Amino acid sequence: MIQPQQPYTGQIFQPTQTFSPTAPQPFYGNSFEDEPPLLEELGINFDHIWQKTLTVLHPLKVADGSIMNETDLAGPMVFCLAFGATLLLAGKIQFGYVYGISAIGCLGMFCLLNLMSMTGVSFGCVASVLGYCLLPMILLSSFAVIFSLQGMIGIILTAGIIGWCSFSASKIFISALAMEGQQLLVAYPCALLYGVFALISVF
Amino acid sequence: MHPAGSAAAGTPRQRKWPSKRRIPVSHLGMADPHQLFDDTSSAQSQGYGAQRGPSGLGYPTASASPQAAFLADPVSNMAMAYGSSLAAQGKELVDKNIDRFIPVTKLKYYFAVDTLYVGKKLGLLFFPYLHQDWEVQYQQDTPVAPRFDVNAPDLYIPAMAFITYVLVAGLALGTQDRFSPDLLGLQASSALAWLTLEVLAILLSLYLITVNTDLTTIDLVAFLGYKYVGMIGGILMGLLFGKIGYYLVLGWCCMSIFVFMIRTLRLKILAEAAAEGVPVRGARNQLRMYLTMAVAAAQPLLMYWLTFHLVR
Repeated sequence: MIQPQQPYTGQIFQPTQTFSPTAPQPFYGNSFEDEPPLLEELGINFDHIWQKTLTVLHPLKVADGSIMNETDLAGPMVFCLAFGATLLLAGKIQFGYVYGISAIGCLGMFCLLNLMSMTGVSFGCVASVLGYCLLPMILLSSFAVIFSLQGMIGIILTAGIIGWCSFSASKIFISALAMEGQQLLVAYPCALLYGVFALISVF
Repeated sequence: MHPAGSAAAGTPRQRKWPSKRRIPVSHLGMADPHQLFDDTSSAQSQGYGAQRGPSGLGYPTASASPQAAFLADPVSNMAMAYGSSLAAQGKELVDKNIDRFIPVTKLKYYFAVDTLYVGKKLGLLFFPYLHQDWEVQYQQDTPVAPRFDVNAPDLYIPAMAFITYVLVAGLALGTQDRFSPDLLGLQASSALAWLTLEVLAILLSLYLITVNTDLTTIDLVAFLGYKYVGMIGGILMGLLFGKIGYYLVLGWCCMSIFVFMIRTLRLKILAEAAAEGVPVRGARNQLRMYLTMAVAAAQPLLMYWLTFHLVR
């Protein structure tokens, strides 16, 4: 059995300093009272989640580039599940499609943004932004529960909501990655992705 | 077995009765005659009450066993850090080796576009008749980024046009009640297959005619991808206005793409002749001329082939 007192020497047992959790975690040697609160340890920061949600809901408000520094996937998970739930209320059991389309869409946006921007972007950041901007789509699918969206009003509403989602997403990407003159170019693939989600809601 | 034998938590299989309670810290230090392992935790037992939470990787009672000592303070921290650093090293390995298969820096050049460039290029694709200067500007031996010169090829428009084509095809099939999700995949893969075939055929012909040109494969993919823009226009018009609209718009886009390709490829394939501005008669140049005409003529044919079954 390994003696715990023997110091680890050599490069192979030296962990590189890449382990950087989102919330600062103290050394485990502390006693129970010094442990961080559970939410902080899990990295769920309700204040930031609320700020990001507000940024999405006010499309004309200028976004702050630093809000995307911590990538948090808790909010987007909740929004995806809520979207699936509202679809379920309308009688469409399509969680599989939502999952598949969001996975492929996030992968595509990740490749595109890495190629288009000067600084790279991490996959978690892309998934986080796209997930947050799914919020207006939940409004659309909850409308679809009550009214059918296949008339003229439905088409206008769908187009408006797709525009809102992609505008917010491109605004956050532009400010986080400092890309100038490319907002419409980023908004177009986002619009394609949200268009597919809208297709699921409408048909 | 003695119920306090549950203090020997090393091998649960040997316990006859399941331990219903966790041993509190103060009970450690009991010398149990049935204990199978040395109790090395007595010196460190004070800190263990708190350790079961964060460092417990599924070990129920962190007491009186070498496994718990193994998960002791600096070690458990290091082990978790090592595990995550393994993941990070794997990611680095992928990043280093992906350059061998996909030339990322070269691709970045083709995506250095901005909205103004895209607007002008789309205008050029639909109406190339008035544009005079088709030469790409150079800056110290390297071509200038697409952002700064409208003649430079880019990959943003072909990529977006391809994806839009697949989605619009799905939409067209949906309005005719012929839609199913696997048909989307079928459309996408058949369009991709035709593109690959085209690229390979042109590369083969360039090799056979021994043209030395600076036309790279990615350039070729970019030029061949511009026809999807016309196809999308045709399908959308066909959806709105029926067959008449489809044929009109498709005809217009076919003509434009034909002229666009001829004018662009002339500068790449027939470089010397184009520089002089005079068509030189010679077997070599004639072959090159035929190749350019063949590539340009294949575009309208493929545009029709890939869209006519979508518009009824």
